[in-house]
Amino acid sequence: MVRITDEELIEELRIRMNENLRSLNELKLLASELKVVNKKLEESETLKSHFISNITNEIINPFTSILGLSKAILSVEKENWKKVISMVVLIHSEAFALDFQLKNIFAAAKIEAGEIFPEIGRVDVSGLISSVIESFQVEAKKRKIQFNFKFDEVRNNDSVFYFKTDAEKLKLILSNLICNSLKYSKENGIVNVRAWTLNSELLVSVHDNGIGISEDYQKVIFDRFNRVENTITSVNRGHGLGLSINKALLDILNGEISLQSENGNGAVFTIRIPEADEEAYLTASDGNELFFDDKQVF
Amino acid sequence: MSEPASHFLYPSALFASKEPYIVNTILGSCVSVCLIDSKLQIGGINHYMLPFWNGQGLASPKFGNIAINKLIEKMLSMGCVKNNLHAKVFGGGNIFESNLLQFQIGERNIAVANEMLMEHQIRIISSSTGGNLGRKIQFNTLTGEIIQKMIEKKNVMCEEP
Repeated sequence: MVRITDEELIEELRIRMNENLRSLNELKLLASELKVVNKKLEESETLKSHFISNITNEIINPFTSILGLSKAILSVEKENWKKVISMVVLIHSEAFALDFQLKNIFAAAKIEAGEIFPEIGRVDVSGLISSVIESFQVEAKKRKIQFNFKFDEVRNNDSVFYFKTDAEKLKLILSNLICNSLKYSKENGIVNVRAWTLNSELLVSVHDNGIGISEDYQKVIFDRFNRVENTITSVNRGHGLGLSINKALLDILNGEISLQSENGNGAVFTIRIPEADEEAYLTASDGNELFFDDKQVF
Repeated sequence: MSEPASHFLYPSALFASKEPYIVNTILGSCVSVCLIDSKLQIGGINHYMLPFWNGQGLASPKFGNIAINKLIEKMLSMGCVKNNLHAKVFGGGNIFESNLLQFQIGERNIAVANEMLMEHQIRIISSSTGGNLGRKIQFNTLTGEIIQKMIEKKNVMCEEP
């Protein structure tokens, strides 16, 4: 048996006590994490049932309007053809909303099935943002909201600025942000869209002067199916998928999304995407290649 | 026989095919579970970044518990029988050095694979997990063969969660 001095014994005990304390703390942390997860799963179940009724509204309502309006057009007398224009505007706006929602739903389904991957190309960023804004112009006019788009790019001043990323995903991300900014803006409001680059990352911010988002809500806003007001009768349409889709799409592009807001003072969503470098995925250092036989466990 | 088509598997995605494919992927602390039905010669693979879905965001195969179940479901929907499935597990390197339990993502990712495959009674016939390096693996869905290359940390694209 090894004889140890009292000091050594005390020192050893102290070390062990500290270790115990550390693992106890870790355990406490894990337990509290578990509690949060449990609560989230419960919420998720209830939200799911909300989601189904929301989605039914999202799809059935636009279709009903489109069918009704086109039927009305069919029965318009020739001398009243001017009425048709306003009906076509309505049909367009309903069809646009439907198309946008379906794109989101399909994107969510693809993400959840693990069948989504970046398709990188050279993207004319300014053109893409303008076209997204343009597509929401009808909706914005209805609510008298104005867009203000500013693109500060210094890399090459006079020619078109290209950025390597996934155009379709960026488009959906921006559509979701702009759609939200419209939804939560006050009438006669202004939505500021700004894009710039920093250290070969693309940043786009969408700033509305709407109702804003409280600090509590900022924590859960990227969860699926969550919305500021969780009722079907809410004046704001949408099913709360947009931001969680954005988060997942940005994951795929190695990007990030951040939010700055105070209750009542509007919100600024900023996305940050690094320029894609496809080759990085395909290269690996040489040597130590290993062929795997069955029954081999390392 | 012609060369099988190739597919690059990104993080958070999964892939399974009846046609022969060579699937490439790069793993850091992420884990890939390969499932092989040698009778039907169908192979499937996932690539997850974190062990468990915590109810936040979309329930995507970014998370081990979802990725493994989805892969099994997909294999079964292609006509595989659970009893004929074998697994190979790769990745879970400790590429972000840390001693804190919560941050040992690699270890926790590996543990999820072991636990869930045991629950499903799918045997792991080979594996290469842990360590401090990343891995590049190439999976042949027809034969179930795998070629592995150890790679430097800086080449690992698997993002920090």
